[in-house]
Amino acid sequence: MSYYDIDSVLTDAQKLPCTFELEVPGLGVLEGNPGEDIKAGTRIDLPLWLGEMLSIGARLGTSRLVTLDMPEALSERVMNALKADPRTVDLRALAPHFYSLSERILELFEEEDMVDVLSDTFKKRASEIADHAHNSRGAVGDGVDFLRGLDETERQLFRAAHDRAKEMRIWSGEAKRK
Amino acid sequence: MAFPLPRGITPTEIAFLAEMETVTVVPRQRLEGLELLGGPLEPLVPPRRASLPLWLALLLKRQRRANIMPPPWLHPEALSLLLEIESQHQDYKNAFSPPPRLPGQPSVRDYQDGVMPTARPQYTRDGQKYYPAPPFLPQNVAQTTFSPTEVPPLPFHWVEVGNMLLDAASDDLVDPDQVRRLLKDLREVRMAKMRSGVDVMDAAAMGGGGVALTGVGAMEIGEERGFLTGVVDGLRKIGASKEQARREQMAEQRANGGYDGTQDEEEEDYMEF
Repeated sequence: MSYYDIDSVLTDAQKLPCTFELEVPGLGVLEGNPGEDIKAGTRIDLPLWLGEMLSIGARLGTSRLVTLDMPEALSERVMNALKADPRTVDLRALAPHFYSLSERILELFEEEDMVDVLSDTFKKRASEIADHAHNSRGAVGDGVDFLRGLDETERQLFRAAHDRAKEMRIWSGEAKRK
Repeated sequence: MAFPLPRGITPTEIAFLAEMETVTVVPRQRLEGLELLGGPLEPLVPPRRASLPLWLALLLKRQRRANIMPPPWLHPEALSLLLEIESQHQDYKNAFSPPPRLPGQPSVRDYQDGVMPTARPQYTRDGQKYYPAPPFLPQNVAQTTFSPTEVPPLPFHWVEVGNMLLDAASDDLVDPDQVRRLLKDLREVRMAKMRSGVDVMDAAAMGGGGVALTGVGAMEIGEERGFLTGVVDGLRKIGASKEQARREQMAEQRANGGYDGTQDEEEEDYMEF
């Protein structure tokens, strides 16, 4: 993850539900009322980078400012859906950077089961992606719905596989170079 | 991303490397020996066979100055046998047909005896050690002795050499249409196998386990590189936190003294009961 990696920047901007533990004067701007105070117990969706910073007090031993919750995209409901059939879940609708988000979340929370579910999902979907990518009709066949639901990591995977297959076909003379 | 090409090398580049492969030609015209960077070439005298690099052989073929003898594996019978092994044989359900034996290096077949064979290096004239590898091995020259029982193994550059020979010298091959079809089938079977390796890939990403790619050709690796590395990378990132926890646990155990591999297993067994 590089500093200039646009996907990592966009992952940082994804929202995370946070609950304020303390009253913070003058921070009402986060809630949409500038100038006001934020009361303890307020729930606000904060970007990942901010929520991570504010909750870091917990690690340093001082009282923490906010507690983090699981984002909607990684809720129990979604995990159950992924366990049932990874291929039918529209990850893009949940979070455009689903896997990068879950990597960051897994760094913050200890969720061994979630790691297993996500690895399994990634594998199952990856083989499906490979099948679609090597199909010469590409993204216009019957897999449109599935391919529309790919998150950013999976799109890159699809791109890599598809471009290579296409280059191969061009080299072997099966397809024409545009 | 200023560089427009993806990571790895493109099919054209792989094919360029494959043009160093040596093939056997039957010249139709006399040609004096050439001094090339890769070493001198023997003079071509018409009825006698000669070994030439593929690029030169293709050039001479296009100028109708030579005929190319197809390598032993590029026969319809050999290919259909290989296809049958790859698709039907139980032992090769998840493996690829064994690559040709490299001189002084162990082949896959040796592992079946239970002894671990070691690679034997070759020496240059200056006495330096080296391990020869394709394309500097005569894997594509025509053979005079041809044993019907043994299947000729697929060389490292089989896709490229097969494709180029079909392109430029299809009249020298036995039943080129059949060969073309078999090559395509073989490629598809092997591609499917490579991609099915994704299912066991998380074991590879977490250390231990993995997918055997023994016998996979250069072009096949080139094609699947982007996808497979992407999958491994994704799985590694997802599993990073778990891996971290596992390492910390191991470090803790080691710090508590008396860590060795067996103890770890015993403890785990105990906890399960």
